[in-house]
Amino acid sequence: MSQVTNGGWLMSNGLYSLFDISVDFDQSHLFFPRLVSWALVIVFLLILITRARPILQALTDRSRGVIFDRHTDRFRFAGTMVLLVSYFIAMQALGQLWPYTGYGFLFGSMVFILLLSLLYLHERTRRNLSVIGLNAVIAPLMAWLILAGLFNITLP
Amino acid sequence: MEFVSQLDISFFLLASLGAAVGIFFGAIPGMTATMAVAVCLPLTYALDINHGLALLLGLYVGGISGGMVPAVLLNIPGTPSSITTTFDGYPMAQNGEGERALKIGIVSSIFGGLVSAVILFFFAPVLADLSIRFSYVEKFLIIFLALTVIAALSRNLLIGIFSGLLGVWFSLIGAYSISDGGNGHTRLMFDFLDPWLHEGFALLPVLIGLFGIVTILSEAAKGVRNDLSGASVNFGKGQRFSFSQLRGQLTNLTRSSVIGTFVGILPGVGGSAASVLAYTQEKNFSRDASQLGKGAPQGVVASESSNNALTGGALIPLLSLGIPGDSTTAVLIGAFTLQGIQVGPLFIGDNTDTWHLMMVALVTANFIMFAVMFLAIRHIARIVMVPKHILYPIIVMMCVAGAYAINYGIMFDVWTLLIIGVLGFLMTRIGLETAPFVIGFILGPNAEVYFVKTIESYGNLTVFFTKSSIAVLLWILIALSVFFSVYLHVKNRRKQHADAA
Repeated sequence: MSQVTNGGWLMSNGLYSLFDISVDFDQSHLFFPRLVSWALVIVFLLILITRARPILQALTDRSRGVIFDRHTDRFRFAGTMVLLVSYFIAMQALGQLWPYTGYGFLFGSMVFILLLSLLYLHERTRRNLSVIGLNAVIAPLMAWLILAGLFNITLP
Repeated sequence: MEFVSQLDISFFLLASLGAAVGIFFGAIPGMTATMAVAVCLPLTYALDINHGLALLLGLYVGGISGGMVPAVLLNIPGTPSSITTTFDGYPMAQNGEGERALKIGIVSSIFGGLVSAVILFFFAPVLADLSIRFSYVEKFLIIFLALTVIAALSRNLLIGIFSGLLGVWFSLIGAYSISDGGNGHTRLMFDFLDPWLHEGFALLPVLIGLFGIVTILSEAAKGVRNDLSGASVNFGKGQRFSFSQLRGQLTNLTRSSVIGTFVGILPGVGGSAASVLAYTQEKNFSRDASQLGKGAPQGVVASESSNNALTGGALIPLLSLGIPGDSTTAVLIGAFTLQGIQVGPLFIGDNTDTWHLMMVALVTANFIMFAVMFLAIRHIARIVMVPKHILYPIIVMMCVAGAYAINYGIMFDVWTLLIIGVLGFLMTRIGLETAPFVIGFILGPNAEVYFVKTIESYGNLTVFFTKSSIAVLLWILIALSVFFSVYLHVKNRRKQHADAA
């Protein structure tokens, strides 16, 4: 009966029942998500209204672009994305060849680190290239030894 | 005092290792303390909670402090929290006082770290005791307040709210868990995704993706340039450091440390806000503010003591309410979840040993940070020159190992890294904010349970206002934070107009 005491003064005004709300258990999984979704839409509209001018400017100014601009290094960005996706796929495939060994992670990472380092490298000197080569072998090996070997952590 | 028996050599070694690795992360521009904790999480899977936390707290303290190295030597803040260190640290380095500036920063850091640890030790249990009595109504309002405060301190209130709500929305994907009293049905997803998304996105892959992969993608879009190739680290031969130079700075040190701790308590608000606030206060109260920005040691003192004081402060709401004080403590929640420990009002009472050991780890990490930085600062300064084309691929590899191992080998968690990485990258590009998103994502599921269960049992919305005097107080705080944000916004706009005119 706590609601009566809590809302007593409201009830006398007949206002209390205005705030009555019930949740059907079968549909209760949708109750809060719907509320949040509506809140998102409303805040989004408010942003559109209050910041109409800068948003319009950003959308129409072709030289700037919304996500990528003139200064974006499209090659390195796209390269990173391609390497990441290939890395994840290769790691899983290799891991299925030798299950529960972590070899998929080990060999996949070696190739991935080598290629990503080369992608990010700006000056291709002999010294830089040898450091990258060494790092591509040592870093995954160290990680594999510590995680899979020492700590028994599951790796692909 | 049972916890003393658990203090073994490996505990201290892990805290030291954490501090050293953290300094390394902090010292490299673009890599943060949050990233350090996220990337090193897989190392804790094999440890128990106490040893794991020793490592992570070391990383946290080291990561925040390490940011001062490039800030002073190269005018590039290593982490966002050392932005204000550049204002005076770099001019000092240019005058040949680089080493002195760094050592002043190091002493200030340990001061801030220890002050905040003391405040944490005394304040967190009190707050926890208070919040134990909270019902679902107050708990929901606390989360609501946390999201409002963090949105209010964003660059734009509406965008902050939008980012936070988006985080909540994301956290609701998947089933309304039966263990939380839900009906077990899924929502906000397509049925064919059920094998992967039934439980929703796992917390840790999301955090690792947001703080690891997003950084890599943003750097790749910028071309991964080593801006430092032409720079050289110059310590100079100017005035040497001695402790007597900090005489007269006690007020500044204390004030900045308290400010840092307080900002840390505010949910989701990071070190940059702490140091900016402390620096501004030093500007307002200092007897001689004219030298600030031109190489005044007191500027470095204000900035570094406040950003390190953030560490203890940010742990207060985490350990007493279960609400992370900044993004690094948000990742720490993951470490607790991993060990099956719930952080919240009951944490300190139920896990007294862990709580005491955390304090020991925090204090140890501060001393180790001090020793490593003070004795080896000249060597640490070289870390800033480590090329990114070597580091970034290793970071990605560690992120993948961490995400895969969290739930003992689920490949979807690795793909989550990429999904969230791309999403986070797009979010930052269109101007949304990461911090409110993370806090929303972490607190979303709890917010749902508290809200829906309250309505199921009371059947009326007014209970959120009338339940208790604490509920009313929380509403007042929520209103104040919105009012404060609007006030700041209007003030800034007037200033901009005045400047333009």
